[in-house]
Amino acid sequence: MKDNDNEAKIILQDVCKSFGDFQALNNINLQVNKGEKIVVCGPSGSGKSTMIRCINRLEEHDSGKIIISGRELTNEVKDIDAVRSEVGMVFQNFNLFPHLTVINNLMLALKLVRKMNKSKAREVAMGFLERVQIPEQADKYPIQLSGGQQQRVAIARALCMNPEVMLFDEPTSALDPEMISEVLDVMIDLANEGLTMICVTHEMGFARSVADSIVFMDSGEIVEMKPPDEFFNNPESKRTKAFLSQILSH
Amino acid sequence: MAELSGWLDDYFWGAMVVLKVFGVSLTMAVIFGLMGASAKLSKNRIANKIANAYTITFRGTPEILVLLLFYYGSAIALTKIVQIFFPQMPFVDIPPFWAGSLSIGLIVGSYATETFRGAFMGVDPGIVEASRALGISNLHTFFYVRIPQMWRLALPAFGNHMLSIMKDTALISIIGLEEILFVAEMATAVTLKPFTMYMIVALIYLSITTVITMVVMLLEKHANRHLEVAK
Amino acid sequence: MNLQIYLILESIPKMLTGLGVTLQLLFLSAVLGLSLGIFLLLMRISGRWYLSLPAFIYIYFFRGTPILVQIFVIYHGFPQFEFIRDSVFWPILREPFGCATLALTLNTGAYVSEILRGGYLGVQRELHEAGMALGLSKLHRFVYVTTPIAVRIAIPAYSNDFISLLKATSLASTITLLDMTGASRTIVAETFAPYEIFISAAIIYMVMTFFIQRGFGRFEKYMSRYVKP
Repeated sequence: MKDNDNEAKIILQDVCKSFGDFQALNNINLQVNKGEKIVVCGPSGSGKSTMIRCINRLEEHDSGKIIISGRELTNEVKDIDAVRSEVGMVFQNFNLFPHLTVINNLMLALKLVRKMNKSKAREVAMGFLERVQIPEQADKYPIQLSGGQQQRVAIARALCMNPEVMLFDEPTSALDPEMISEVLDVMIDLANEGLTMICVTHEMGFARSVADSIVFMDSGEIVEMKPPDEFFNNPESKRTKAFLSQILSH
Repeated sequence: MAELSGWLDDYFWGAMVVLKVFGVSLTMAVIFGLMGASAKLSKNRIANKIANAYTITFRGTPEILVLLLFYYGSAIALTKIVQIFFPQMPFVDIPPFWAGSLSIGLIVGSYATETFRGAFMGVDPGIVEASRALGISNLHTFFYVRIPQMWRLALPAFGNHMLSIMKDTALISIIGLEEILFVAEMATAVTLKPFTMYMIVALIYLSITTVITMVVMLLEKHANRHLEVAK
Repeated sequence: MNLQIYLILESIPKMLTGLGVTLQLLFLSAVLGLSLGIFLLLMRISGRWYLSLPAFIYIYFFRGTPILVQIFVIYHGFPQFEFIRDSVFWPILREPFGCATLALTLNTGAYVSEILRGGYLGVQRELHEAGMALGLSKLHRFVYVTTPIAVRIAIPAYSNDFISLLKATSLASTITLLDMTGASRTIVAETFAPYEIFISAAIIYMVMTFFIQRGFGRFEKYMSRYVKP
């Protein structure tokens, strides 16, 4: 960690994105520095997922700038795959490759993108499976695992690439309630190790204990961005208050 | 294209024969398909066995063999029967139109059996129960609740069966029906332009199958109209 | 009707020769048709209209017309053109076997490409995204993620198409080829015993259909080992 702590890993400047007539992102400005943990929340359809999908260029933004570790994402970026391999992504529905065993899910990109040989890839992959505490499931197929286990495999798969930033797109939304904590525990560990993270989630307990800042989005805009204490105790905007009262009342 | 003008009439009437075969075979295929499906769904084990034998036989045998067997086979059988009464009769011919339409009807009926069976089982039993719970009779439930749902489920596959029937009609020329392939053969003998003449046949078939495809698409849209609102 | 067993026994050698021709037609056109189908699929999903449109028209034509008509256009129709008679392909196109193989290949290729496209489209978009997010290149995603899943989805339909192809080989008999159906027809013409001969032939086709179905069933089971827990 000899780099400057304030080194910007992700910069979004005036990012706009629309689907047809629908304005999904409207002048988004956000900077995430090395080691920072950002939690993004907001009502459904507010553009949270679109924003982090743009960071990985799973969606292409219409205007504005997105800069990842100093590299701007544009149509001219020939090696978008190289940028993507530095940005890990965890999806709501896990999206494990169903035809590959757990260990092969982890090894695929290590072999193809990182050009590791088989034994080296296996060693690295096993290391990450141990880190998410399911090394014993290595040779099973994804469908044989519970939802919580699948999501932990998905996290390990993204971590294998040794990414500079991890993006989480509602990682616990598709899980049964009793499996949420095993996934959150892994994420908290990662946060404590100093990984740069952007996490879209409604788990406010997680946000409170882990986040450096909480971003609240509505209608494609960032309404406010504050450290957790201030966010929960002193929300400025009416929309934030309305949202908080809704999700905290349950 | 000058050599073509004399043959347009013949192609037209040939196409009419094709459409007639199509109509008759389609009707037969629906009948055999419904019979096969009811037999497969019935609790009677003999009916099950017969229906299974029917589908395995006709799905595993080349269409042309079925056609030849029906055409020559029934001619022989009929000749033998007729000769009992008129021993001097040398041979009784079966009209290729009927032998052909029946064969195609039986073949495609074996595929339709599976389609109808699947559609019947695909109807949510809860809907049928709901209808019975409202006091609607079994018969009315069948016609007003089950059939409309089945229809929707069966349509895509049934559209493919219609296309199969259409394309199978070409086979009947083999047993001597005077339809468009026959016209092409005649025309070739005179004009010595076989490619042109057979290509016309292909294009006639292509236009008919296009129309069938479009009709099926419209029907599907109609049958699925209640699903579109949800989006 | 008295089935004449000796007739069936006598015709076995001829039928076996015919069976050989049938199998040659089947495997040759299946292999060539599969290659053509993959080629057409790549054209259709290329995202470039000048590739996908010709592939679409080709598939539309071959799926919309009877295979028998296609065989006739090639066998009877091609010799109309001098450039075909002068071409290097003439030795193949002059023979009924070449014509039948060509027609069956062109026909099954159109169907196979649609079957493969169905499998390709059946692969969830999310899995492409997961591959993208890991930085896998387009080629790697196609080879390691899409293809294995698409193949599994396509097997049942491909198995049906393979059986259709087997049945379609019998149409080669209409252009004088002595495949199993052709052999049966000549025997019937000599002996006039359609029941015995045609039914025997039909049984052989059914047995082949049975084994084809079983073979593909096993393959599908193997490819689906990860689908059920």
